[in-house]
Amino acid sequence: MRRKGTVMENIVIWFKECFTDEAILSAIGVTFKMAVFSCLISSVLGITFGLLLERYDFRGKKLIVRINRTLMGMPPVVAGLVVYLLLMRRGPLGMLGWLFTIKGMIVAQTLIITPIMTGMIHQHAVSKVPAIREFCMTMGADRRQTIWTVLKEMCHDIYFCMVTAFGRSISEVGSVMLVGGNIKGHTRTMTTAISLLKSQGIFTEGIALGLVLLVMAFIIQWLCDFLQKEESADENY
Amino acid sequence: MKIINLEKNMGSFQLKIDHLDIEPGKVHGLVGHNGCGKTILLKTIIGILTPDSGTIDMEGLEKSKMTMMMQRPYLLHDSVYENVIYPLKIRKIPVDEAKVDAMLEKVGLLAQKNQYARSLSSGERQKLSFLRAVIFGPEFVIMDETLSNMDPESERTIISLIKEIQQTRPITWLIVNHQLEQKKDLCDVIHYMEKGRIVNETA
Repeated sequence: MRRKGTVMENIVIWFKECFTDEAILSAIGVTFKMAVFSCLISSVLGITFGLLLERYDFRGKKLIVRINRTLMGMPPVVAGLVVYLLLMRRGPLGMLGWLFTIKGMIVAQTLIITPIMTGMIHQHAVSKVPAIREFCMTMGADRRQTIWTVLKEMCHDIYFCMVTAFGRSISEVGSVMLVGGNIKGHTRTMTTAISLLKSQGIFTEGIALGLVLLVMAFIIQWLCDFLQKEESADENY
Repeated sequence: MKIINLEKNMGSFQLKIDHLDIEPGKVHGLVGHNGCGKTILLKTIIGILTPDSGTIDMEGLEKSKMTMMMQRPYLLHDSVYENVIYPLKIRKIPVDEAKVDAMLEKVGLLAQKNQYARSLSSGERQKLSFLRAVIFGPEFVIMDETLSNMDPESERTIISLIKEIQQTRPITWLIVNHQLEQKKDLCDVIHYMEKGRIVNETA
């Protein structure tokens, strides 16, 4: 039946088939849920740690910055393995019962993304916050008002870091495969589904999921570009 | 304000002010070559830098009544108007938009009221910084090279505004500028700095 229609009609039918498939919809849902929650948690942690690292000087600060930079490049499989060992039944957090659940996957993703958020926020803060803090002091702002102004003035950088973290989260395979177990309709994400579909030789659905991921990556890229344009408007004419 | 035996070490540079008397209600000028420590002194007075030793006697002046215009003013990622009213907002002073508009008009920034502040030229930025500093009714204003980046007309406007303020409600000014000697009519006292020290004072 499909062969009788035009190429365009065939593509539309193919997409409809793919996106009415419950397994695919579930994978999209799980991916979003995991990415959104892990991104939000790591944003709170990363913004806090990044700004604290900029604000305070203490013994061992350089070492902490270096360790964080190392963790920024941590292979996701290693993070996945650590979380797996923590959450396994005999592990220290086994009583939570989070292994092979979305919660466990969020923990693993948070572990991967938080150092990235911390490092990026710290980098932006080092170049911007001292001037903002001086300005607030000259204007007579108190501590609370200064913190609020810093966050408001850095919102573009914070958005940029969050978008990057979100992008990292949706495209991750290694740790979610280990911690989530790739259970159909439960912990299967788009990336783990693609990986499985490929090993089964089912390329059509795999490509459909890949396209969704690409569209998401495009939107994220567009958001980053948009935020960077906002920053480049900061010119002295 | 009295500054006594103030010392601040910044690497190889040392600021050492034995005595500096800043009389209230007067316009004080501060003159010195580049790198003689003027900005360090100003930042120490406002509280951005902490002195290593010595005292700054505020003589009852509240910190919230002091302000400083930086050499390169920081502008918020917002409109010109929002930048001007920032000190009012943080002091929870009700904003009188008509008054703000009148002040913007005085310095020639009314047309740019809703414009993104960071798109202003350096001279306009300095004028915005000036408005932001005086709008909340301060008692002590520090100007670090504010007049330097302005064209002659804008400079005249700011000087006339300073004089207007001094006639209606005299406040204390500490103005750093390289050409202050040519503007002796603006200042009541001029302090001369050299290598981190106050070397002379003329009334």
